[in-house]
Amino acid sequence: MPGKATRRSAKHNCQGLDTTNRILVSRHICRHRSRGHNQHHTLSSVAKETVASFPANSPILAMFKEAATKLNDRQDRHERLVKLSRDITIESKRIIFLLHSALTKESCENTIQEANERLQKLIKGPIRSIGLELENSPAYLHSRAVTAGFQEYVEARTLCSLMEKKELIQWNEVQKEFTYIIKNEEKDEEKVVTTMIPQLDYMLGVSDLTGELMRRTINCISSGDSDECFHCCQVVRDLYTGYLGLFGVGKELSRKMSTTRANVAKVEAAVYALRVRGGEAPPPLLLPPPMPNDWENHGHHSDDEGFY
Amino acid sequence: MSDNHVVNIIFSDFQKKLDEEQELREVIRTICKEVDQISREATTVLQVIHHNEAGIAPACLKVRELYEKAREGYSRLKDAVPATDYYKYQDHWRFMTQRYCYLISLTIWLEKGILAKHETVAEILGISAVEEKEGFHLDIEEYLVGLLQLCTELARLAVNSVTRGDYARPLQISKFVMELNAGFRLLNLKNDHLRKRFDALKYDVKKIEEVVYDLSIRGLLPKTEEIPVTS
Repeated sequence: MPGKATRRSAKHNCQGLDTTNRILVSRHICRHRSRGHNQHHTLSSVAKETVASFPANSPILAMFKEAATKLNDRQDRHERLVKLSRDITIESKRIIFLLHSALTKESCENTIQEANERLQKLIKGPIRSIGLELENSPAYLHSRAVTAGFQEYVEARTLCSLMEKKELIQWNEVQKEFTYIIKNEEKDEEKVVTTMIPQLDYMLGVSDLTGELMRRTINCISSGDSDECFHCCQVVRDLYTGYLGLFGVGKELSRKMSTTRANVAKVEAAVYALRVRGGEAPPPLLLPPPMPNDWENHGHHSDDEGFY
Repeated sequence: MSDNHVVNIIFSDFQKKLDEEQELREVIRTICKEVDQISREATTVLQVIHHNEAGIAPACLKVRELYEKAREGYSRLKDAVPATDYYKYQDHWRFMTQRYCYLISLTIWLEKGILAKHETVAEILGISAVEEKEGFHLDIEEYLVGLLQLCTELARLAVNSVTRGDYARPLQISKFVMELNAGFRLLNLKNDHLRKRFDALKYDVKKIEEVVYDLSIRGLLPKTEEIPVTS
């Protein structure tokens, strides 16, 4: 109890210094009374008193109020964007999962159609909201808030296009899909809003795509679709070659490189197993066991997002 | 290079972008280096305030000239940075801009005893104060960090002006920093660099209060310039 009291008075002495100096300056008027009165002072009440002691029209405080509004706006916008980004991430993951569930050629078409519809919904929903949110703000200020969502979206979008047309959709095509014409009913005006997707986010998404392709290759082996399997494997290899050829990349991309390398290793091992033992065993048995001599075994760095 | 045409395009496109970015960064870096040099010079010039009262006015005039040069540098920077990419390359000029905010607000305080507004600082640097979708501007956070640096410098000035025999200055500083302190409390800071810098403000406040306290218990406060006790 005495400890608490000492701490409290020490706290008071420190934070009440400005009060102290005002008291002293006012030629010790009512010194004892205000001291006694100050016993009830807390940090916030002292701060409030200090604020109250300045004229209400103080230009300094007015400036800070303005600054506070600006900072609050910025923070609120950031929070809203993070939320949108998370919505995109979740839905994209589900779309990827949906695409993996297509095992036969017939079901494949329906699945791709459904995936495309859901991607369209993303484009018209959260991604459009991001564009509107950033209509009057610099996009790069908040790029960190939305990058995760964009990467996951790119992963889903590229996987879908790869399964549909056997070709990757390019960055500028993805970007083109993010252009919206907003109609103003009242004024009968139209404006164009674009959600900017940085090319880096696209490339980061594509690097994650190798993980999905690895999964797809293995799925294809188990369903006996060896053509598709070899095709996927080749795409993974091509992508890896591409990433190897890049120089001057940022740290985000180089961090993903080890995962990409591990994915290539897994795919190649799986395809090798298919070729060597393909004739001997029925396809379902060819799911590769965990590779003991994985040449780049980053066990902790798994690309598995939890549904395998 | 692989045989897959689309993949080749994707990667060569990206590489091109990376190269362009690299070149741009080089240009920005060169400009920033020059402008930063000027800020260092201005910092050195302003150090005179701690030991020579008479030197303050000429120092202010001198740094004003330097700000003109900096203004020219900022206009080159404005041209170099693509309008949409301010925040992409912000790190290159962040600290430099903070220092300018501090220097300019210090100069204006020495000249007139008032706080330099965000718009005023931006105007001296020849850039906009408004954050828009596109364009080079003075970020509000940089300005605020500059003000916090100003407080640290003023705390030092309070001590040194007493050494110099100027007992009125600490009171002026105390009132000003108190008001800034109250102002900063109005901000909702999240756990970022601005918050960290703000957390250090209390030590400056404490230092100034101690100086004023020392003066007041020894009766050294100027009688004529009594702190107005607000009701």
